[in-house]
Amino acid sequence: MDLAMSEAETLEKTPGGPLGTGPAGKPRSLWSDAWFQLRRNPVFLVSGLLILFLVVISIWPSLIASGDPLECHLSKAQEGPEPGHPFGYDSQGCDVYTRTVYGARASITVGVCATLGAALLGSLLGGLAGFFGGWWDALLSRIADIFFGIPVILGGLVLLSVVTSTTVWPVVGFIVLLGWPQVSRIARGSVITAKQNDYVQAARALGAGNGRMLLRHVAPNAVAPVIVVATIALGTYIALEATLSFLGVGLRPPTVSWGIDIANAAQSIRNAPHMLLWPAGALSVTVLAFIMLGDAVRDALDPKLR
Amino acid sequence: MLLQVRDLHVEFRTHDGVAKAVNGVSYEVDAGETLAVLGESGSGKSVTAQAIMGILDVPPGRITGGEILFQGRDLLQLKEDDRRKVRGAEMAMIFQDALSSLNPVLSVGEQLGEMFVVHRGMSRKDARAKAVELMDRVRIPAAKERVGQYPHQFSGGMRQRIMIAMALALEPALIIADEPTTALDVTVQAQVMDLLAELQQEYHMGLILITHDLGVVADVADRIAVMYAGRIVETAPVHDLYKAPAHPYTRGLLDSIPRLDHKGHELYAIKGLPPNLMAIPPGCAFHPRCPRAQDVCLTDEPPLYAVAEDGARESACHFWRETLRDA
Repeated sequence: MDLAMSEAETLEKTPGGPLGTGPAGKPRSLWSDAWFQLRRNPVFLVSGLLILFLVVISIWPSLIASGDPLECHLSKAQEGPEPGHPFGYDSQGCDVYTRTVYGARASITVGVCATLGAALLGSLLGGLAGFFGGWWDALLSRIADIFFGIPVILGGLVLLSVVTSTTVWPVVGFIVLLGWPQVSRIARGSVITAKQNDYVQAARALGAGNGRMLLRHVAPNAVAPVIVVATIALGTYIALEATLSFLGVGLRPPTVSWGIDIANAAQSIRNAPHMLLWPAGALSVTVLAFIMLGDAVRDALDPKLR
Repeated sequence: MLLQVRDLHVEFRTHDGVAKAVNGVSYEVDAGETLAVLGESGSGKSVTAQAIMGILDVPPGRITGGEILFQGRDLLQLKEDDRRKVRGAEMAMIFQDALSSLNPVLSVGEQLGEMFVVHRGMSRKDARAKAVELMDRVRIPAAKERVGQYPHQFSGGMRQRIMIAMALALEPALIIADEPTTALDVTVQAQVMDLLAELQQEYHMGLILITHDLGVVADVADRIAVMYAGRIVETAPVHDLYKAPAHPYTRGLLDSIPRLDHKGHELYAIKGLPPNLMAIPPGCAFHPRCPRAQDVCLTDEPPLYAVAEDGARESACHFWRETLRDA
């Protein structure tokens, strides 16, 4: 406490100091401070650019791949690279480069949608449980425990094998279903911590109602850990989608997915390793990028680690 | 009478048993008056204040008896929603640690303005103008420039001024200040105390000043209520109490203030520890630590004896006459 006080004291005497104020002398909030930290973090810059690139090609894949991922020539099956087709052909004679580029869309869509779903559901349920406590908290925590207990692969094999849809939504739904308890635990914990802060009590003493206390005083101070967990989870969700697709219960053809391509390539890995290399490489780089981003965000939002 | 607390009982149910934090406290505050509530940690002074404000954590806390009359209404009978409208608008509280009592992610202007947005339905822009006005009021220099700054950019004294400004925002009839200067430097303490006293006079508010610091109280309080183990053991006009305490506990508190003319002597300390609220001693709760304790103190709980004829002074000691005489 003493340290914090004296720190604040010195800050006040040096307006425009290194921590409290920005370059223009404008006061900085926690968020702009975190953004300031992020911008100077090379890990964030590298992963951020990579993710930006992945997002752009998943929206407009034709920007860098002119072909059609579903246009295949069986006569060229498993052939190596040739001009215009730098990654070669797969077992069906489809262009590996085009399919790798188009595969980004499925991974990013599943990753982003599943993360948003799990983060919203988890923080809503966990946040309310932490804020109101009591039987609601007990009930919700037990439900979360039940979902925690479901083994991911086994659950996926059982639940998704009965689905016939070829869209991404069953996979997204499954990941949300298994992912929200993790977010909800983090959200519950950080809401309980934030709720105990004196300023929440002070707001109450000055006449704030439950809704205002939760939205204005508790949530902004509890959201940082949720963001960190969600960013890291995004990478693992993408890997999970590929795993499920590899096992044949995730995305289905004609959806283009790295997981499906990896599964197909694995059968002929000794004849045509290039078929495996590119989709697997793209998957690894994507997962890595999101996990790096999560690390950078955690460093920026958790001042204790700085 | 602005506020009357009558025979208030508060207990906390824990896994280890029931802690009786407040056991029949009665006090009153009039408009424009300052009542200082004095006592050690765990004497129930803050819990009483929380019960008045209606911010007691229920559960584990529970008000088991008594009434709190505020401008004639019994607050304990009000619905939570009506209670909430009283908080902030008609009575407000200032907390000990201003840094932790301000939300770190909102600028001070937003937090001050929130009072007007919540209670008066003002627009954000008008509320901000009001916030600047309030910061001027509590003499924060360059209020206009600093209204957008965050709590960590202010010094301890300035932060406490902001807390005072927040409490004053809607000109409440009653302010409860829970150790408002304990977290501050001694030099800043006096400034903040003076500001609070001045504003109180200006707005003609009732002020309950909770503290364990006798020095802070002497200049600003009109009356003092001394609490021990959840009861009031002595009430008196401030100067009478300093001149001649009528309870051995008050005597002990006064004797344990370091004094310049006693340099070199060992500082007096009340022997023993504050009582365990789960097992308050029978009879007079202070008897295990009291230098004056007799057999009667072990069995009979002393009522509040009238020390002055007009009832302005009371003492919960069987031997208040002797204590007063020896003072």
